[in-house]
Amino acid sequence: MTGAAWMLPALHFVAMLLLVTSLALIVSPQLFACIRFYALHSFLLALITTGTALYHRVPHVLIAAVLTLVLKTIVIPQIFYRMIRRLGIRRDVETYLNIPLSLIFSTLLVFISFYGVGNLRAIKPPLSQEFVSIAVATLFLGMFMMTTRKKALTQVLGLLLIENGLFLLGVTTTFGMPLLVEIGIFFDVLVGAIIMGVFVFKIRGAFEGLDMDQLTMLKG
Amino acid sequence: MTIACLLVIPLISGLLAVLSPAKRFLQWVFVSGAALLAGCAWALVFRTAGTGPRFEFGGNILLDPLAAVFVFLIATVGLLSAVYAAGYLFGESDLAIPLVKLKRYAIFFHLFLLSMLLVVLSNNLGIMWIAIEGTTLASAFLVNVDDKKSSIEAAWKYLILCTVGIALALFGIILVYYSATSGGGGEGQDLLHWSVLLSRAATLDPQIMKLAFVFILAGYGTKAGLAPFHSWLPDAHSQAPSPVSALLSGVLLSCSISGIIRFHILTRAAVGGGFSDGLLIFFGVLSVAVACPFILVQGDYKRLLAYSSVEHMGLTAAGIGFGSFFGVYGALLHIVNHAFTKSLLFFSCGHILHHFRTKEIRGVRGLLKTSPFLGTVFFAGILAIAGLPPFSVFVSEFSILSGGFASRHFGATAAVIALLVLIFAGFVRHLSEMALGERVREPHPSRNGWMDGVLWIGLFLIVSLGIYIPGPFQDLLHGAVRVVEGAGG
Repeated sequence: MTGAAWMLPALHFVAMLLLVTSLALIVSPQLFACIRFYALHSFLLALITTGTALYHRVPHVLIAAVLTLVLKTIVIPQIFYRMIRRLGIRRDVETYLNIPLSLIFSTLLVFISFYGVGNLRAIKPPLSQEFVSIAVATLFLGMFMMTTRKKALTQVLGLLLIENGLFLLGVTTTFGMPLLVEIGIFFDVLVGAIIMGVFVFKIRGAFEGLDMDQLTMLKG
Repeated sequence: MTIACLLVIPLISGLLAVLSPAKRFLQWVFVSGAALLAGCAWALVFRTAGTGPRFEFGGNILLDPLAAVFVFLIATVGLLSAVYAAGYLFGESDLAIPLVKLKRYAIFFHLFLLSMLLVVLSNNLGIMWIAIEGTTLASAFLVNVDDKKSSIEAAWKYLILCTVGIALALFGIILVYYSATSGGGGEGQDLLHWSVLLSRAATLDPQIMKLAFVFILAGYGTKAGLAPFHSWLPDAHSQAPSPVSALLSGVLLSCSISGIIRFHILTRAAVGGGFSDGLLIFFGVLSVAVACPFILVQGDYKRLLAYSSVEHMGLTAAGIGFGSFFGVYGALLHIVNHAFTKSLLFFSCGHILHHFRTKEIRGVRGLLKTSPFLGTVFFAGILAIAGLPPFSVFVSEFSILSGGFASRHFGATAAVIALLVLIFAGFVRHLSEMALGERVREPHPSRNGWMDGVLWIGLFLIVSLGIYIPGPFQDLLHGAVRVVEGAGG
């Protein structure tokens, strides 16, 4: 019950592109570029999801693919664009680590996830272990992004990257969660992005900036 | 009385709050919504205590004794918190907030109750995850009510840390689902249902289940405030208004514990004892140990109570891990006792903040002389939370510790006892600073019936539950223990 033979290598290729996009998202120095890379990341994710649905003939996964396309490639990036315009924040990304160092760390994280998942004999997903490795790598890269960025907005992007990684894992190992759950997760992601957006505004208003350096009043 | 009532009432209350034109009406909707919910919850919980598990909504919702304990808790503490807030935030004092913010508060308060009820009632593990994330989203606005710098910082940390934590839990859930689908499960949507997974536990891959439990413990443990994932907790608890702190500490943390318990039952059925128990004991004792120094040297009384929540969640986790009847019974009773005691303490913190205008321990002196009633409640509450008899927390702590000895975890139990003694000393030191001594302020001028009434009820609960546990409640707890121990769920 599987699809055409050419689809599997194509899926692998798209998955590799996805990994490259995650890395590009991590190292890109501009906020707008970051958001574009996130949109691209989500678009590739939607492609993989569609591919999986067609290759394994699991039609309900297509709905998740459409939701990904609409919500994560269009709606959420649009929310971000508007927010940046309204806030008028500086467009460049400030990090605690410089770009070459970030790239070295990210590569290390990718290596660790491929090595770690390769050793997990228990997981034999229907597609290939490579997808699990890439999903875990995306998860790690999202966490890395959250810990090394100074701006509230880029932290939210890191969070969304983590979510994309989890979605990829779900789709490629189990053909996605049951539809009800999948829709609930999408709802949470959307509401979460909006609420975090509101808080980004509040931080901007109260702290005269979005640097996390200033959020250090509460200790002990 | 159906389970649907529990989910519909907060939704309607939230909607009515949106439409409220005036402050009085809003206050009425806000309190009566919580009261109606509590009434329904009590009726449902105690009527179904004796019967078997009830499934609704295609098996997505499950009410068994374990869930019933938590429903009881959410509804009761929710009502107390609503009544207290009716005096605290809706009152005439300068701690009161403007109508727009009150509206926002009322809406998110009821959504928060709804999401917590959904957490404990869901049989579908995916829906449980969605609901737990929902609790974070709903309560972020409750933590930041006044838009002060420190509140925004606390709410932001809470949002980000808990969302990342919860993401880890989703990883674990995907692993569980993968294990179920690849373990020869047919096509069907019920492979995420806890009850179905439990009955098919033998087909789940032990290695994957172990991995999944680690992720879920880290994820839900973040939300439950288990060390070392607790760093959001003191900030959120200290910056939120007192009625919200009470709800966060007493109920929200317990809801996450309920999620952990469900997965613990599942993991134990799939891989056998020893693995998840060991992890729970380890992180439980670690939480008590991490909280201890912060309690000893704390300078802010709300943070003091927040760290005490870390300690008590650790104790609960350890009790579940110890297993045996006394360990589990103690842990479940402890969840209830901690919720009542800690919410009482946070409520009295509201009074203290109202009067002394500071959260610093050194700023509060002579509480017993300044306000004898408030001083007595606070005095009793602190002694109760530190584990002194005849208060209720002592009973459950004693049961947890005897469970630890019964299951031959001597090292862990001894360590907990030593830490509890230290924590007790810390509490007594802070208490003597705050409650004793000469009065430094004028006596408490304004009296608010709503707020004082809640303190009376709280005081009654912590004393009476320490002396006598009513029959129906006892049955409920025994039923819940049977669910956890895996007999006749």
